[in-house]
Amino acid sequence: MIEAIGVTKTYRTGSSEVRAVDNAHLHVHSGEFILILGRSGSGKSTLLGMLAGLIRPSAGTVRFKGMDIGILSDDRISEIRAREIGFIFQFSGLLPTITVLENVLVPSLFYRSGDNCRSRALDLLDTVGLSERTAAYPRTLSSGEMKRAAIARALINTPSVLIADEPTGDLDIDTEFEIMELFSRLNREGMTVVMVTHNPDLVPYATRTLGMDRGMLSERFLSLHPGNGSSTGTGNPP
Amino acid sequence: MSNLSGFRFSKLVGRNLANRPYRNIATIFAFALIAGTLFSSQFLSNGAEQSLDAGMDRLGADIMVVPDKYLFAGQTVLLTGEPTTFFFEDAGFEEISRIPGVAKASPQMYIATLFASCCAAPVQMIAIDPETDFTISAWLVDNPGVKMGEDDIIIGSNIIQDPGKELMFYGHIFHVVGTLDQTGTGMDNSVFTRFEDAYVMAGESGAKAVKKLNIPREMASAVLVKVEPGMSPEAVADEIERQVPGTRTILPNGLMSAVNGQLAAVTLLLEGSAVAVTVVSIPLLGLVSALVANEQKKDISILRALGATKGFVTWLILAESFALAIIGSIIGIGVATWFLVIYQDFITFSLKIPFIIPSNLTILAEGGGALLLSVAIAGTASIYPVFRITRSEPYEGIGRGVS
Repeated sequence: MIEAIGVTKTYRTGSSEVRAVDNAHLHVHSGEFILILGRSGSGKSTLLGMLAGLIRPSAGTVRFKGMDIGILSDDRISEIRAREIGFIFQFSGLLPTITVLENVLVPSLFYRSGDNCRSRALDLLDTVGLSERTAAYPRTLSSGEMKRAAIARALINTPSVLIADEPTGDLDIDTEFEIMELFSRLNREGMTVVMVTHNPDLVPYATRTLGMDRGMLSERFLSLHPGNGSSTGTGNPP
Repeated sequence: MSNLSGFRFSKLVGRNLANRPYRNIATIFAFALIAGTLFSSQFLSNGAEQSLDAGMDRLGADIMVVPDKYLFAGQTVLLTGEPTTFFFEDAGFEEISRIPGVAKASPQMYIATLFASCCAAPVQMIAIDPETDFTISAWLVDNPGVKMGEDDIIIGSNIIQDPGKELMFYGHIFHVVGTLDQTGTGMDNSVFTRFEDAYVMAGESGAKAVKKLNIPREMASAVLVKVEPGMSPEAVADEIERQVPGTRTILPNGLMSAVNGQLAAVTLLLEGSAVAVTVVSIPLLGLVSALVANEQKKDISILRALGATKGFVTWLILAESFALAIIGSIIGIGVATWFLVIYQDFITFSLKIPFIIPSNLTILAEGGGALLLSVAIAGTASIYPVFRITRSEPYEGIGRGVS
């Protein structure tokens, strides 16, 4: 589905160079639920951005369904993002000037997966428990509600892969559980999920867990579970 | 850009604009100023030109010949109708009809009236020779119900009296038989009578009026000339001035030059203001546009992540700028039109120019031009922010995200 081959991303700040992602190799297979675990600043979001075609790698190649997205036109990459990828930001990423329902409908401006987007948007909002908040503006929502609205928006075009950047970062444990259950259900229904988090408690939801530390991606991950101290391990599917 | 069952592009533009009302008001004001001043300048120039065309059409003449000392007075009769009385010093004007290229020549006599009941100020009386006239006789052909007999007058549109009623000048009573359409020129402030009735009025004035009027017989103030088809009015005018000493000729082009001269200061001020506002506005609007785009950087990055193309983002930024330009221009053009229509008489009086509200087509063209220019300015001001945003990576606005 998605293949990252030796991708590197460096940023220049003044005279120094920051290597956010360093020679990462990753093959995401269809139907997988991949969890990338790492500390804040380890390069997880940058890697996700490159997988989604939002960030151009400094070196290496990202392939989506066999296509090298580095050589595709902007229109083509945008089309892939609109129809194939559901992206969930670390923050809610809702547009503040429009309502929850309208936010969910925004991706239908770029690609329409069916005739009745509005009906599908309402169904999705019902699924994430926001059927009563369709006309609300993002500023009136709680963090959990904003995150759930963003998930509904990511699913509006029935993408083949869901890429989520710390989707449960600032949520209470109950909301985190609901969202992870939803991701798990979507994965069981066939959707590929790639998610980054710094919460090792979420490892059981994944079919494969990877670790990221100082830009380096590895099959081994550093457990950050409080109370357990730091330890290393490998991903354990639930 | 739109989606019938989903979310409309126009709604996104509208909501974004509604989110920053105060800054938009300033931008709209700038566009209103640009479009309003440009439109006003064009409106005045075209209003004067169309007025002059209508006035010359009313006269039906290609050339007006006046005594050489009264060139300005002759222009004034045509342009503003400011009352004046003057005559040729001899009868040499009769030679005009014999000059090659002259198809028709008809004398007119200009008499400034005293105060009359119709009017707040003296008016210009124009006496015509019914035998040779082609000014009023052409109008009479178009108005077959009207006959101009003894003591009958036809009045300009600014003279307040109804046909069938009477008006008194120099103690002589005249019958109003018709009212001419508005031209915006001196014709609107004039009263047309026959030579014979003017002589009778002058003869009675010693006994009936507070001031005696003396008008010499067989004399004229001006001769209106119609040239033969295919002849150049300029060439015929030159020939008249050469062959008939003591004459000067007035042509529509020369009149327009005179009007433009009078309008120059105003149009220069308006056009200068428009250019100054435009020159200042482009970088300012560019700055505002860049600030807005910078504020929207995160939202635009979100849109890009959701599948928006660079074209969509470009169009979104431009659509917001264009919407403000269009709203501002419509307000500016509307206010300018209202002002120019309401204060039409004041403009004519204070600028001493012929002026008529231009035709609807002309107003539409002038308004459309001002609107297009505003949209072009909006587009120009948006070039830099569009360039910046489309050059940046979609994820940059969200943050480099090294987490």
